[in-house]
Amino acid sequence: MIFDATVRGRTIRVEVRGGGGRYTVHLDGAPLEVDLVGTGRPFASLLVAGESHEVAVEKRPEGYAVVFPGEAVTVDLAEAGRGSSLPARHAHGPSRLTAPMPGRVVRVLEAPGADVVAGQGLFVIEAMKMENELKAPRAGRIQEVAVREGQAVEAGALLAVVG
Amino acid sequence: MSARAFRKILVANRGEIAVRVIRACREMDIASVAVFSEADRAALHVRLADEAYPIGPAPSRESYLRIDRVLDAARASGAEAIHPGYGFLAENAAFARVCEEARIVFIGPRSGTIALMGEKTSARREAVAAGVPVVPGTLEPIADGREVAREAERIGYPVMLKAAAGGGGKGLRLVASPAELASALARARSEAQGAFGDDRVYLEKAIARPRHVEIQVLGDHHGNVVHLFERECSIQRRHQKVIEESPSPVLTPARRQRMGELAVALARRVGYVNAGTIEFLVGGDHEPYFLEMNTRLQVEHPVTEVVTGLDLVKLQIRIAQGEPLPLRQEDLAQRGHAIECRVYAEDPDAGFLPSPGTIAALRVPGGPGVRDDSGVYEGWEVPIHYDPLLSKLVVWAESRDEAIRRMRRAVAEYRVVGIQTTLPFFVRVLGHPAFVAGDFDTSFVDTQLAGKDGPRPRSVEIAIAAAAIRAFEERRAGRVPADRPGLPAWRAAGLRDAHASRPGRQG
Repeated sequence: MIFDATVRGRTIRVEVRGGGGRYTVHLDGAPLEVDLVGTGRPFASLLVAGESHEVAVEKRPEGYAVVFPGEAVTVDLAEAGRGSSLPARHAHGPSRLTAPMPGRVVRVLEAPGADVVAGQGLFVIEAMKMENELKAPRAGRIQEVAVREGQAVEAGALLAVVG
Repeated sequence: MSARAFRKILVANRGEIAVRVIRACREMDIASVAVFSEADRAALHVRLADEAYPIGPAPSRESYLRIDRVLDAARASGAEAIHPGYGFLAENAAFARVCEEARIVFIGPRSGTIALMGEKTSARREAVAAGVPVVPGTLEPIADGREVAREAERIGYPVMLKAAAGGGGKGLRLVASPAELASALARARSEAQGAFGDDRVYLEKAIARPRHVEIQVLGDHHGNVVHLFERECSIQRRHQKVIEESPSPVLTPARRQRMGELAVALARRVGYVNAGTIEFLVGGDHEPYFLEMNTRLQVEHPVTEVVTGLDLVKLQIRIAQGEPLPLRQEDLAQRGHAIECRVYAEDPDAGFLPSPGTIAALRVPGGPGVRDDSGVYEGWEVPIHYDPLLSKLVVWAESRDEAIRRMRRAVAEYRVVGIQTTLPFFVRVLGHPAFVAGDFDTSFVDTQLAGKDGPRPRSVEIAIAAAAIRAFEERRAGRVPADRPGLPAWRAAGLRDAHASRPGRQG
């Protein structure tokens, strides 16, 4: 089975063959012999050319996050020939500021129509007893403010659109 | 005060510190009583305690900070003493006073001492009177915003803006210039009001590149006071400690002795009873300046425990029972080196933003010299309402170098899945040449760890292989079976193969 795997913006062709815990994985044509066994959800132990790696493999919308001690690698996967499942990249156009964690909106610092500079504080959200200032992702004009003070928000909730 | 042994202690806290106190009680054959909010019914401290009582809704102001409900639980359970842990009611003089009036022993200092040292400006005045050097700044709290601005000008920027009732890094801001003062003051006041119910502030001159070194003290009801040496706590984010160690790599024996003597002098002056910590900033001139006194057990107390061989919680309980300290200053020594890493539910790659949620999987390190003081378990949902500390990973070894190597090994074994934690951050700190050399100050996290490298090329290869195999097996298995949604495909495939190869079971 052939996939296009994208890590940090770089895409390579990956082919997987085998089964029953033993696989040959070609990374852009270079073969890797992998012995993989599940070691209790969501962990897996990989033996690759004698190297032992214990990783956690977590589902992500576009693929998986593979977690090592000290680092995590997000791998976006698309089955080759079935079109890309990669998200379209919006280099231009309005930026959506979303809540990075669940919490409560303590302050809304700017109103729609305000011109802001990149890094300017827009919201104060309280979570786990700390007040965290959320800053404008880029310079622009606030097109929309989607929350009000005192409101509880979930992680990923839209807070504002900066155009 | 005559000694009497407690039969039952109520623990007025949650999380890892409640678990820590319950464990000490269990080892002393003292029954433990937990209290819990609606968010904590399934929390580890409730599961481990002998008895547990609900004290209200999830927000701490309606539960863990409710003096009346905690006391009701103490009376209902027949507990003779209350251990407050740290945070919540631990430094609340009114709570300690109500306990005294109710003839329930508060395991900590007298309420008058808490009031005196909890108000940070009166603590500074006591330090001056005890001959302990203090950071230059105001000696009285300030309520008026214009006066804050005037005093900041007088002291000279940069200044530290601090809550008069403060502690734990809450209500604290570094202000570099007058332009930043208004917004910093608003944030500090709001945080201080929320955390302490008191929004008054005071100012200190910001000391450039200070180290944070603190001295643990113990006092009993018979006038004995000892110190248990120092903890180095300079690795901080948001003015809160994340790594502590003992001994400090910068203290000479002479300086250690002097700081210990200063701490004991201050503790004696205020008639200190039970465990307390005197925090100092150590400037570039290596001179210590009194910062504040914490009139409670510290989060990082295990670092002191493993180098001195003492159990601070048991000593707290014995002191509260009226026993004299079982040791004199000359009996005490630091042996080897200890390091603690605080495992927080925070995303170090997103400015340490909180990361509450369910712990989908948890693997805790073990082996020689490793201790994990945890308040969580696999399957537990870390609530958004409280401090994000999950556990404290502590190692001990003969030397600092060996302790760093041991901590690197332990951190690599420690796996938390489902939420972000500070564990990856510790890998970076423990491998940083400046940390290894002991050459760092409280600005280390902001200045030395600002840039982040991408993953190692080998990790990217392994990750792609693991992800592609997982996707391959999911597609081959026709996705994950609907009745076992959480099962990884390779295990699901294995189960299916196992059933298929045992047809006799169908017959």
